[in-house]
Amino acid sequence: MPELPIWQYDTLFLALALLFGITALAMQNLMGAAIVFGAYSFLMCLIWTTMGAVDVAFTEAAVGAGVSTVFIFATIYNTGVCAKPKTPRVAFKLSTGLVALGTGAFILSALPDFPNWGDPQSPVNSTISPYYIEHTIRDAHVPNIVTTVLADYRGFDTLLETAVVFIACIAIYSILRTDAAKLKVTEPDIVTPPPAYDPTDSLIIRQASRIMVPFMQIFALYVIAHGHYSPGGGFQGGVILGASIILLCISFDLKYVLRQWTEKKIMLLTALGVLIYAAVGLACMIMGGEFLNYKVLNPLLPGDEAYARSHSILLVEIGVGMTVMFSMIGIYINLASNGRFDRGL
Amino acid sequence: MENFIPKFNYIVVVILMMTGLWSMLAQNNLIKKCIGMAIFQTGIILFFISIGAKNDALIPILTETANHTYPDPDVDKITNPLTQILMLTAIVVGVATLGVGLALAQKVFQQHNSFDEDEILNNQTK
Repeated sequence: MPELPIWQYDTLFLALALLFGITALAMQNLMGAAIVFGAYSFLMCLIWTTMGAVDVAFTEAAVGAGVSTVFIFATIYNTGVCAKPKTPRVAFKLSTGLVALGTGAFILSALPDFPNWGDPQSPVNSTISPYYIEHTIRDAHVPNIVTTVLADYRGFDTLLETAVVFIACIAIYSILRTDAAKLKVTEPDIVTPPPAYDPTDSLIIRQASRIMVPFMQIFALYVIAHGHYSPGGGFQGGVILGASIILLCISFDLKYVLRQWTEKKIMLLTALGVLIYAAVGLACMIMGGEFLNYKVLNPLLPGDEAYARSHSILLVEIGVGMTVMFSMIGIYINLASNGRFDRGL
Repeated sequence: MENFIPKFNYIVVVILMMTGLWSMLAQNNLIKKCIGMAIFQTGIILFFISIGAKNDALIPILTETANHTYPDPDVDKITNPLTQILMLTAIVVGVATLGVGLALAQKVFQQHNSFDEDEILNNQTK
């Protein structure tokens, strides 16, 4: 029997992930669906860890399982909880099912042409990625190859991805943000009846989160700063920093947080992150190199050319972290307060 | 079977993607559509990570030897970092777009007081 290219747990995890994904879509209770979807994200995390993608797994744990579940919760909180059981439109569901099956069969017909799973000689593994693996330590003194490729070799890519996060944040502001003072307070009481037991009064939750938040923030700063040597970086650290503030919003209330982090501050800092990233690129141009060619920053930063790249990666990661942190907070506050910035979950 | 096992991940990818696609087409509830979109996205991420995986390979972080130097890495024994970084950024952008989708759903709810597509359509034709 040939050696199986399957990691032992992979089949089990994939089967469970499929089950959870389908359960999340089949559930009537939307809160339940959000929770099951969080569990699905955690399973995906495990699958990616078994395939050696630790950075991706870390991001998924922070983003997919953590923040996106909270976003779905915030939306459901503002509205109804259940998906109403409907008279099933069998013909419509069957026809869309056929479309999906047809597309799936069409993609699967190409299956024999896909490279074998785990093949080191497949096109994707043998063209450009060996260059990154071989040169990263000489070029930038950074052992975590993912960080180097993310912020240095493919810096443009990451700059624009950060800009996309920023633009999505702006889009949400322009869709939802309304001025609570101008709005005549009418519908919210119909939509969300006041809960019989107000969890924001709970002493245990408040004290526990008061203790947890500083540790979360220290861990997040460590994740950003130590991203050169271990899984982590601006995206993961930024999301954890954002989550720590979101925890404060949930356990205290929105007003308590907004006293420190006013809306203006949040918006300015979201933009500042992208600007820091772009400013590093511009500094490279002023020093006579190409945009985001960190090598030319050597006279400004300690160490040789490779260390200049290493330090610039840290600067860039800080910018990414700021944008991601404050856009997560901004998106959460908009979703949780229905754009009124008065009270939240 | 020997042809099937090395492609097993791709089959799961297609099933996940089609589940998400079907959910986006057929579900009435707007939140369910958003969850379907996220499942479609994880299917694609799983595909990218699967093609970047290598047998018996280590994570893409180099290890230091005792005398503080890094030996030349063996390319076949380190997982492909490129597909990983593409997907890392895709996840974060994915949550931002999920937020936009949810914000749009909330706006629709403010207007029509429902997440249900049929009810929204009935509301509009009234």
